[in-house]
Amino acid sequence: MPALSDGELETLLHGGESDRNERKRNAADLDKIREAVCAFSNDLPDRRQPGVVFVGVEDDGTCSNLTIDDDLLRLLGNVRDDGALTPFPVMEVRQATIRGCSLAVIIVQPTLNPPVRFRGRAWVRVGPRRAIASPEEERRLVEKRRWGNLPFDAQPVAGSNLSDLDLNRFNLEYLPAMVSRDTIAQNQRAVVDQLRALRLIDQDETPTFTAIAMLGKSTQHWFPGASIAWRRVGGENLTDNTIDERVLTGTIPDQLRRIDEIIDAANISPVEMGTTVHTRAAEYPMAALQQLVRNALMHRTYEGTTSPVRVTWYSDRVEILSPGGPFGVVTPLTLGLPGYTDYRNPTLAEALKGYGFVERFGQGIEIARMALAQSGSPAPQFRCEPEEAPVWVHVTVRKRP
Amino acid sequence: MKTVAFFNNKGGVGKTSLLYHLAWMFALRGKRVVAADLDPQANLSAMFLQDDRIDALWAAGGAATVYSAMRPLMEGTGDLLQVTPQIVGERIALIPGDLTLSEIEDELSTQWPRCLNSEARAFRVIAAFDRMLRSIGAAQDADYGLIDVGPNLGAINRCALISADYVVVPIGADLFSIRGLQNVGPKLRAWRREWEDRLKRAPESLGFRLPNGAMEPLGYIISRYSAYGRGAAKAFQRWLDRAPRIYVEYVLNLQWDDSALDVDGNRLAQLKDYRSLLPMAQEARKPMFLLKPADGAIGGHQAAVQECYADFEALATEIEERIALSSPTLGDAKIDSVEARAKR
Repeated sequence: MPALSDGELETLLHGGESDRNERKRNAADLDKIREAVCAFSNDLPDRRQPGVVFVGVEDDGTCSNLTIDDDLLRLLGNVRDDGALTPFPVMEVRQATIRGCSLAVIIVQPTLNPPVRFRGRAWVRVGPRRAIASPEEERRLVEKRRWGNLPFDAQPVAGSNLSDLDLNRFNLEYLPAMVSRDTIAQNQRAVVDQLRALRLIDQDETPTFTAIAMLGKSTQHWFPGASIAWRRVGGENLTDNTIDERVLTGTIPDQLRRIDEIIDAANISPVEMGTTVHTRAAEYPMAALQQLVRNALMHRTYEGTTSPVRVTWYSDRVEILSPGGPFGVVTPLTLGLPGYTDYRNPTLAEALKGYGFVERFGQGIEIARMALAQSGSPAPQFRCEPEEAPVWVHVTVRKRP
Repeated sequence: MKTVAFFNNKGGVGKTSLLYHLAWMFALRGKRVVAADLDPQANLSAMFLQDDRIDALWAAGGAATVYSAMRPLMEGTGDLLQVTPQIVGERIALIPGDLTLSEIEDELSTQWPRCLNSEARAFRVIAAFDRMLRSIGAAQDADYGLIDVGPNLGAINRCALISADYVVVPIGADLFSIRGLQNVGPKLRAWRREWEDRLKRAPESLGFRLPNGAMEPLGYIISRYSAYGRGAAKAFQRWLDRAPRIYVEYVLNLQWDDSALDVDGNRLAQLKDYRSLLPMAQEARKPMFLLKPADGAIGGHQAAVQECYADFEALATEIEERIALSSPTLGDAKIDSVEARAKR
């Protein structure tokens, strides 16, 4: 996608074309900005050109003299991955000076995989008007999807069909978790249209990876490695006695719920008797382990591997191994650093956000770090293995001293 | 900003939980909310904030809670401090409560009669909650100020209530809370009358605006209604049937008219006891209607979550519409407007 120069921005801001620009006096109402980003991502008029939100300009085009500082740019940047918009839009936020007026601009590229939803509603731009997509408009958005270029998790799983999905669960859990109530209520669509709009089947009604992972009747039949291998050993080495060992199967939400219970049971909370107070603290902060395991399932590769995510509980540490090296802007050098987030599985990430396993995108490692720091534990360690050509991401959490 | 107090002198009627959920629902509907925890039990703060965060606020000093902001004023060493609200959601600001708030009960009782002597300090103290709420409301550009109070008829609640433009009365699934209406109604009128008396004697140039003490009753909400069970539910149903009349007679102070078409026009909502959702919501620290499968709301629970969402959305809409229909004014004019609405 081409970047926009300041000259092109000026033409957009002061030219006549109204369905690719949006003017905002300030960032006081972030929801309105999210709606605009959502609508530009969906690109209903099919311009295949970026849309731009100009922050710091009045409706009539005059400068509102807003102070454009780092805080403002960060606030706007959060719109990308705070989870209100799914899947995340492709967007860039920067400062620009147009005709002497300092502005913050959000440049939004049309998505390959529409519809993008803001809190479960797909917004579209029709001329200068912004509205929630009608069922008919949403169908047109789905048709614009460029199947060939989609990430693995949005591609169809050859050989599978609708009967491989648990459609009861789709109705009871998936649909209400992903789509706003009013959208469900007003649109009396067939289940296949709903599945397609949610990126769960392709144009031939073949389930996508995300559908098999979230709703598959037998997820491991198609992806034997899409599981968690849990092992608890009685010492500090893998060769020590195994206390407990199991493979967690089923859909990814099923696995996440079970691993939570297993970790909770393993994570003992010894009581220290003091003189006046008893303190009771778990060996590991639950939130940290939870986030790191969820991260592993969300970011690992599911393509061309039969390896499970391995969670190994030693007497002094917990290790989480996930298949596939780092992805995109996350490299062996930036792995685990704040601010470096990328998504190998954006559709799966969207689903896990909808289910509530992810509160905010890009925050998992931060939450884990903070929880560990608060409980007085050492920081988590992130490693790629092997270092030269990583095929595993290896996370180690050590027990409080 | 319009302020709404949730008040019943019977405790355990789900008042705090109701306010918490409504704050979220208003925010989800794009409104900006200030939630003020004026209950010395600080339950609302405990719903919004983690224990360790509350602990830190109470230890912080300064003006982190409703009590610490009022302390200089109460001790006579200065005026009200600007409290630092906790931003608990994109459009929700919380004025944190404080267990030590009960310490100001005596001072508020002492200053109440002194207003009659036109003492400036007495007005400064009695209007403290209102001043705090309005200044945070203005700073947050809030649409609604929601006030949580404890279940009693004491001096703290009197001051909290006179800062309310509107009052909503939650009723729980027990007959005591319906009987509580018989106390609430006359008390609200007494407080309104007494405050009007005092307003007339307020010295000029106080330097701040005094509340008008409107406390217009918006209606009642039956919470945690449960159709489950036999004996107890039956006895309760008898009281429930009497609630519309008790509300009209005691809270609105009007004649009950059996022939009226809409006998229950004052009921804002009858909310279910969302049995399994509430503990899940407390664990996840989010409202029941935003529970996700990851929080345990799997399978059929999602349907309950959706139903709960619809119920609270309808309640929030009802409250907004009633507020939009009325504008609280002083004294007789206000009571007239209540009567006019009741007749309509």
